[in-house]
Amino acid sequence: MLAVVDLVVRRGGRCVLDRVNLHVTAGERVSLHGPSGCGKTTLLHAIAGLVDVSGGSVAVAGHDVTQLPVHRRGIGLVFQDDRLFPHFTVAENVAYPLRVRGVPKHRRRTVAESWLENVGLGGFADRSVATLSGGEARRVALARTLAAEPHLVLLDEPLTGLDQRLHDRLLDDLDRLFRSLHTTVVHVTHDRSEGARLCNRAVEFESLARLSD
Amino acid sequence: MSDLLRADRLPRVAAVPALLWLIVFLVLPVALMIAGYVGVEDTIRVLRLDSTWRIVRFSTWQAVLSVVATFLLAAPVTWLIGRHDFRGRRVLRAISTLGFLLPSVVVAAGFLAVLPDSLHYSVFAIVVAHAYFNLAVVVRVVGARLELVDQRLVDAAGTLGATPLRALRTVTWPLVRSAVASAGIVVFLYCFTSFAVVRVLGGPARNTLESDLALRAFGIGDVGGATVLGILQLAVILVVLAIARSSGGRDVVPSDARTSALPRIDRRRVAGAVVVCASTVLFVVAPLASVAWRSVRIGGTTSLAAWSSVFDSGLRDSLFVSVRTAVFAGLLGVILATTVGMAVVRLGRVGRFIDVLAFVPLAVSPVTLGLGLVVTFDGGWYDWRAAWWFVAVAHTLVALPLAVRVLVPAWHAVPAGLHEAAAVLGAGELRRFLDVDVRFVRRAMVAAFGLVIAVSLGEFGAASLLSRSGAETVPVVVGRLLARTGDLVRTQAFALSTVLVVLCIGALLVVESLLGRNARARGG
Repeated sequence: MLAVVDLVVRRGGRCVLDRVNLHVTAGERVSLHGPSGCGKTTLLHAIAGLVDVSGGSVAVAGHDVTQLPVHRRGIGLVFQDDRLFPHFTVAENVAYPLRVRGVPKHRRRTVAESWLENVGLGGFADRSVATLSGGEARRVALARTLAAEPHLVLLDEPLTGLDQRLHDRLLDDLDRLFRSLHTTVVHVTHDRSEGARLCNRAVEFESLARLSD
Repeated sequence: MSDLLRADRLPRVAAVPALLWLIVFLVLPVALMIAGYVGVEDTIRVLRLDSTWRIVRFSTWQAVLSVVATFLLAAPVTWLIGRHDFRGRRVLRAISTLGFLLPSVVVAAGFLAVLPDSLHYSVFAIVVAHAYFNLAVVVRVVGARLELVDQRLVDAAGTLGATPLRALRTVTWPLVRSAVASAGIVVFLYCFTSFAVVRVLGGPARNTLESDLALRAFGIGDVGGATVLGILQLAVILVVLAIARSSGGRDVVPSDARTSALPRIDRRRVAGAVVVCASTVLFVVAPLASVAWRSVRIGGTTSLAAWSSVFDSGLRDSLFVSVRTAVFAGLLGVILATTVGMAVVRLGRVGRFIDVLAFVPLAVSPVTLGLGLVVTFDGGWYDWRAAWWFVAVAHTLVALPLAVRVLVPAWHAVPAGLHEAAAVLGAGELRRFLDVDVRFVRRAMVAAFGLVIAVSLGEFGAASLLSRSGAETVPVVVGRLLARTGDLVRTQAFALSTVLVVLCIGALLVVESLLGRNARARGG
């Protein structure tokens, strides 16, 4: 499903990712571990197309997407900080990918409500995002990503900042949801136990880089 | 800036027409005016005239005096607004900054109405009117910086034994002095290039470079001499800016956000605060109220004759011309300022260049700009001098520095993260522009629209050169009527001025409410 080959990202003359390789098969859930600042988020952003790459390639479902703009890659990304649109309601946020594709309004609403049910937020459709708690906002961000029906979902430390009770509950919900949808996931975290509970393969971030000769 | 925004093509595409506009209507006219009309003979002739240097001296010392008067008048209200929290603070700030965007010719008319006859056509009248306009500059620039001074630092100085005066000198002053210097420079430049105030309140014997420039170009047809004066004025402005820049030193900027709430007014000082509020409101409102009062007074009796003549005669046409010009300038100006703002924030080096270009109208005065436009677009298919929209073109340039200052913070406030989120969800560049950018900058766009309209309604310098007979804007008509004798014509001038004040205040109320909402939305 995902093939990252010799990916290089440079920032201000410094090599942030140096020939990184990662292969993920369809339906697989991979957890990437590594210390803060090692480049995990940059890798996810490079796969999604949000940062310029200096070398290597990214292929999704057998197609090289390295040169494709972000919005044509079909990759979902749940950001660390949610990034919900403050000027839209909860339902409008979730329906955004459908709106972009020109899906009629009434259909968008139905789909958005269904995704909100899936993430345990039935009845939240008309709420303003400003009124959501941290855990609720995280669920809306997840529903919004899944509503786009991406080939692959990238999760950038999706449970950071939540208290333990919320953290555990959301982790269970994510596990249930991804299992039922057979979603292919790349999950970035510095918490090994979180990765072990959510994913079926764990990878050390440092092992992704091919060592220089 | 994120790689996503850096790769966007829209800012580059949008910058092209903005850049073309600035080059065609700003750079080219000024360059052609200098290249085509400045000869060695004209230069020597003008520079040898005693009157030239007398005018330079007058322009300079009246400007210096105006700066001092402005700071003296503005200091109490600026301190009150900048360092205290109280009910009505926003209203007081709005009132104290009202004068800046009112038509200069109307304010001049207001001081004619409020001052005793013995002070008409005096330096005192000029200086007080300049202080009236520039009160807003000090309140906005210095007051905003004062707000950022962390009260806890002042309190800390107190606990270390500093008296309030010493805390002011050693803590507050270092943090605000660069803002005081900036405000001083801006006030000096506005007063140095003053036109309407000097024309109306200075009398025939007093001229600034700006008013003499207009007189030479259109009074006696000496375009060469006028151009030399324009360049002389520009040279002085550039020297002042260079001195200000070189002597500025390192700016000490307070923390990026107000970290402690402003203190309430001390009970013992409430009476003083009330006096400051009342005197500021009186100072701002009195000339405007006088204008309205004088619009119904003819020869010592109350009469609506001037008002009926405004709505019955050709004077009504000037209202139509002004509103049409202002709305067109507003539309053009908001498009220009929005694209310039986008370029400034998103285009790196090219954006910084456009930013500098957009500020050139501050250095090139409206009269110089008008002169440049007149001598450039004077023949062939591009003879647009008689076109009704040409005045609006000049007004977009005069208002551009202000409108850009409204739009740039709004563009900065667009969260790059939302662009990335929208892109990941499938939104292309145009879609992101509509769903993210426009949502965040639209209030500032409406505010800029109102600002350009207010500037256009009151602009006098460029309009007095570009307005055609029979299609003059209201300020030009007011200026013409005030220059004539006779009770009725003067009262007509006051009536037209009153209409203009109402229109401008309406536009400014829209601006103020939208900018206030923007600030609240940003947590300001």
